[in-house]
Parts: sequence; C-alpha cells; structure tokens
Amino acid sequence: MELANTLRQDGESRGGVLAHLERLETQVSKSRKKLEEPQNAQALEARIHELKRLRDKLRAEVKQRQARVKASTANVEPDQILEISEQEILERKQENMKAILQAYRFTGISGKLTSRGVCVCISTAFEGNLLDSYFVDLVMEKPLWIHHHSVPVFIPLEEISAKYLQTNTRHFLFVLWEYLNAYSGRKYQADRLQSDFAAFLVGPLQRNSLCNLLSFTYKVKPEGQSFPFCARLLYKDLTTTLPTDVTVTSQGTEALPSTWEEQRAAHENLFFTKPLHQVKGNIALSAPMTKVMGFQKNLSRLSGQGPFHLTRTTDKQVFRVKSTASRF
Amino acid sequence: MDSQRAKARALEAEIAALRRACIETQAPGDDDSQVRKSFQETHQSNSEEWGLSKDLRSHLGSLESELQFLSRLTGISIRNYCKNTEDLTNTEMAEKSIKKVLQRHRLSGNCHMITFQLEFQILEIQDKESLSSVITDLSIIMEPTEYSELSEFVSRAEEKRDLLMFFRSLRFFVEWCDYRKRTFKHFKEKYPEAVQLSEGASSSCMGIRNPSQPGFELVIVWRIQIDEEGKVLPKLDLLTKVPLRALELDKNRVIETAPLSFRTLLGVLGIEATLESLIKSFCTEESS
Repeated sequence: MELANTLRQDGESRGGVLAHLERLETQVSKSRKKLEEPQNAQALEARIHELKRLRDKLRAEVKQRQARVKASTANVEPDQILEISEQEILERKQENMKAILQAYRFTGISGKLTSRGVCVCISTAFEGNLLDSYFVDLVMEKPLWIHHHSVPVFIPLEEISAKYLQTNTRHFLFVLWEYLNAYSGRKYQADRLQSDFAAFLVGPLQRNSLCNLLSFTYKVKPEGQSFPFCARLLYKDLTTTLPTDVTVTSQGTEALPSTWEEQRAAHENLFFTKPLHQVKGNIALSAPMTKVMGFQKNLSRLSGQGPFHLTRTTDKQVFRVKSTASRF
Repeated sequence: MDSQRAKARALEAEIAALRRACIETQAPGDDDSQVRKSFQETHQSNSEEWGLSKDLRSHLGSLESELQFLSRLTGISIRNYCKNTEDLTNTEMAEKSIKKVLQRHRLSGNCHMITFQLEFQILEIQDKESLSSVITDLSIIMEPTEYSELSEFVSRAEEKRDLLMFFRSLRFFVEWCDYRKRTFKHFKEKYPEAVQLSEGASSSCMGIRNPSQPGFELVIVWRIQIDEEGKVLPKLDLLTKVPLRALELDKNRVIETAPLSFRTLLGVLGIEATLESLIKSFCTEESS
C-alpha cells in the first residue's frame, strides 16, 4: 500500500520507482526464497524421509503378499499329498492282492474267475520239483459242468466228477489234484530213471501212459556181466507215487546164487519204499560206498577168504556180509 | 539441494513401482472370484483323483471277492504274501544262455482253524530246452493247535520240501477233523445221555455209557493220521471199560474181541453206521 501511494505522489520518478519496486520485489522474493530454501531443504529431507518410510512399507507389503501367494499354493499341496498317499495305499493293497492270487498256485489249487465261473489251475510237484499244471474250466450253473480241461484222458475225470462235482466241489478238486499230482510224480520218476540211469538199463523202460505199470531190465553194475534183473512195478492206487506191487525176477532160467537172491529181495524192498530213481542210486553203489569197498577189501585180507559181497538193508543201518566162496 | 531432489524423485519412482507390484501379486483366495475359480480347479483335479480312487476301490472290491471265492473253493486262505527275486546268473551261464534265478517267498494264511506261515526258496534254472523249478528250502511255522498229529507231519514236509503235499494233507486233515466233529456232535444230540464227549466238540474220543448199567463204558478213539506220503487216514479204535466181575462172566470173550470186531464192522458198515449200531446195541439191551 505504501508503495502504491508513493507511486501516485511522484509520477516523474515512476520509472525509477517501478524499477525500484521491481528491485525490491526480487529482493523480497530472493529473501523469501532464501528463507524458503532452508525450509525446502528441511522439507525435502522430511519428504525424503517420508518417501523412504513409504517405500519400506510397500516393500514389506509386497514381500508379504508374495509370501502369502507361496503359502496359499503350498496350502493346496498338503491336501494333494494326502490324496496321493491314499491312492498309494490302495495301489499297494491292489498289488498285494494280485500277488496273493498268484501265490495260490503254490497251494496246488488256484483259479481265476471267468465270466461264467472259474478256471481252476492244478499244479503238481514231486519232492520239491515243480512239475506240470493242468486246468479245469468250471461253469457255475445248476448243475455245475466242466467247459473244458487239460486233464489227460487216462485220468478218471468222469468218475471223480460223477462222485463229487455236484455235491462237494471242493472235495472234487482235492481228489482230482491227488490223481494228477501222483501221475505227475510217477511220470517224473520214470523219466528220471530213463535219463539218469540209462547205463544200468538193459533195453527200454516200458510204461503205460498212466505211468502206473512199469517194466524194465537192469544191471547192478553198468559194466561187466552180472545177473540182470527184471523189475515190474504196479501202482494200483492211482493217488500214490510208490508202487503197490513189485516183482523183481532174474532174467536167466538158472537159479540165482544166494547173494543175488538176497540182492533181489533187497531190491524189491527198495522199490516199495523209495522213489524209483533213488532206488537205482542205492543199487548203483556210488561214491559214498567206497568206504564199504575198503571194508570189503580189509575183510578179505584179514580172513584170507574172499571176495566178499555186501548187501545193504533198506534202512542202511546193517550190512550183511556174505562171501562168494563156496564155504559159506 | 539437487541431489536431495533427485533422491526424492528416485524414491517416488520406487514407490510407484512397488505399488504396481502390490496389485500384481494377488494371492489366490484374496479375491472372492479367484477363490471360487481355484476351488473349481482343485475340485476338478480332486475329482479326477477321486475318479481314479473310485475305479481303484471298485477293482479292489472285485479282487477281494475273488480272493474270498478262491479261499472257499480251495479251502486255503492266504492272508499275506511277498516275494523276492535274486538273479544268480553269472557270465559263464549267460554265455550258454542258462539263466539261474533264486526266488524267496513268504506266505501266511490259514486253513480253517489252522494258521500257518511258510518261507520257501525256489531255484529256477532255465536253459535252452527246459525250465526247472525246484524248492530248495522250506520252513513251516504253525500256530500250536490241539492237533498233536500235525507237528510230526510238518517236520516231514519240511524235510521233503514238499510244499504241495503239505497243503494237500492240511486240506484233507481239516476235512476229516470237521467230519469227526460233526459226527460226534450228531450222536451227542441224538443220544444225549448215552454219549459222552470228554474234551468237548473237537475231542478225539467219544464215550458210550448206558445210564442203567454204570461201570460199563465203551470209548471210541478216532485219530486222524497223516502217513509218510502225506495221505490222511482216519484210525478208529474201540476201548472197553468193564468191571472185573463182568469180564469173568464173559464166557464168549466178547469184550476181548470187541476191538477187533469193531474194526471189521467199520469196514463193512462205515463209520457212522458202525457208531450208530454200537450205541444202539449197548444202550437198548436190557441185559449186559
């Protein structure tokens, strides 16, 4: 206001006054600025301080959000893990059950469900050797009937099924298993005899398809001449693997010397009690008998008699000594 | 001053960027619609798995019923089984195309009231012509039962490594035990005063007593034996318990020959008819 008044009083010094005013104005603003600058600096500092604070806050917020995102996706996983482990448990149970179904064959009778019934698989074995399997396809209708099977023709399947199939299917399977297992065992024995002891056999092993009638001629020693024996084995009971009738005869027409007679009788006994291929092993006097041979030698040396011949009783406990010399 | 300003400007820019980042990192579930979407997603994947489980469960159900059927049909129930295979083929054998594998099996289950646990090894040798599988080791553990006949049979089966024979004998043995139990029970029910079952339902002895003639007693001992070959056979014997005075009066030596006559009768009439006739003749006669 005072400035304005001074301007109206002296018009001539207006230019000079204006200029003066301008100078004053700039001075004031400068001084104001000068006044403000320390304030600005302060404010700036304050502002920077504020900005920093805000920045830090936002940083923390972002971090938190990121962590939450991670956590929420992680939250989804544990449930999935639970789902997976339940599935794993079920799968493992399934594997176990399938394995058990397979394991049934070790019990001799196993089976698989079919659309119309069950296909029963019968497994056979002889003294730890697993042998053939046979199958019987049963249709579960009234009456029960056999669709098809792999049972050999000479096994009395019709007889067994007539007796048991309708009234007691389980027993039918047990009995059928007995027949098939025994047949398998006899066949195995005959096969082993033919293959392992071919050197002792004179001529072929004669057998019927049921392998319950065997006839063969054998020598006690593979080389050299000894009286060959004819053995005839009959297995009347089709559910057994040991013969019911055994006859061992000498091939020649002349009478057997006593030692051979004893041997013959011993062999008969052996055939009754031991599996076929093991009987031959006993007769063959293999390596463990070298002790006996030594004993024989000693006997002849000591007594001045000889040669001696030893026969063994079936329980292998007693050795009977007989001399082939005519004196005894 | 300028540096301060620059600092301020830099901070502002950083803040703006952070603000943008905040908006971008929206966790699912923060937002309602997002929640629904993710739920749908997880539900879909869950239901896929549930679908699989459903198939698995129904398959398991059918496997279970198959196992139950098999156990009823074969008489043996296998509860657990595991197998272990070891390849024993060495380079020599491989050259001759011979393969040797050792399998170790462990099996546990039961046959009616008899529980067993088996461990066995099978050696499989495959050459060009044939495959041979041989059981090389067998160990059988049975839970103790009242059937003493079983322990001898078990050790024999282990010795012979005859696994199938073990099962066959077990099955027939259990069948016979069941038949014996039912037969004794039948007679006990039919002639309650005359018949005595000393050891209860699964006893191996049946006593016949005439209530009007105390002191006289017939005891039928029914044993179930398993022979060397694994065949299961019933063995019945008759024991007589008679006062001394009666023995003296027995001129025809009926009592002495009774056990033998019993055996003959069994052969002719079979078990049930023999027992029936024995009970009848012992109990309904007025004079001894």
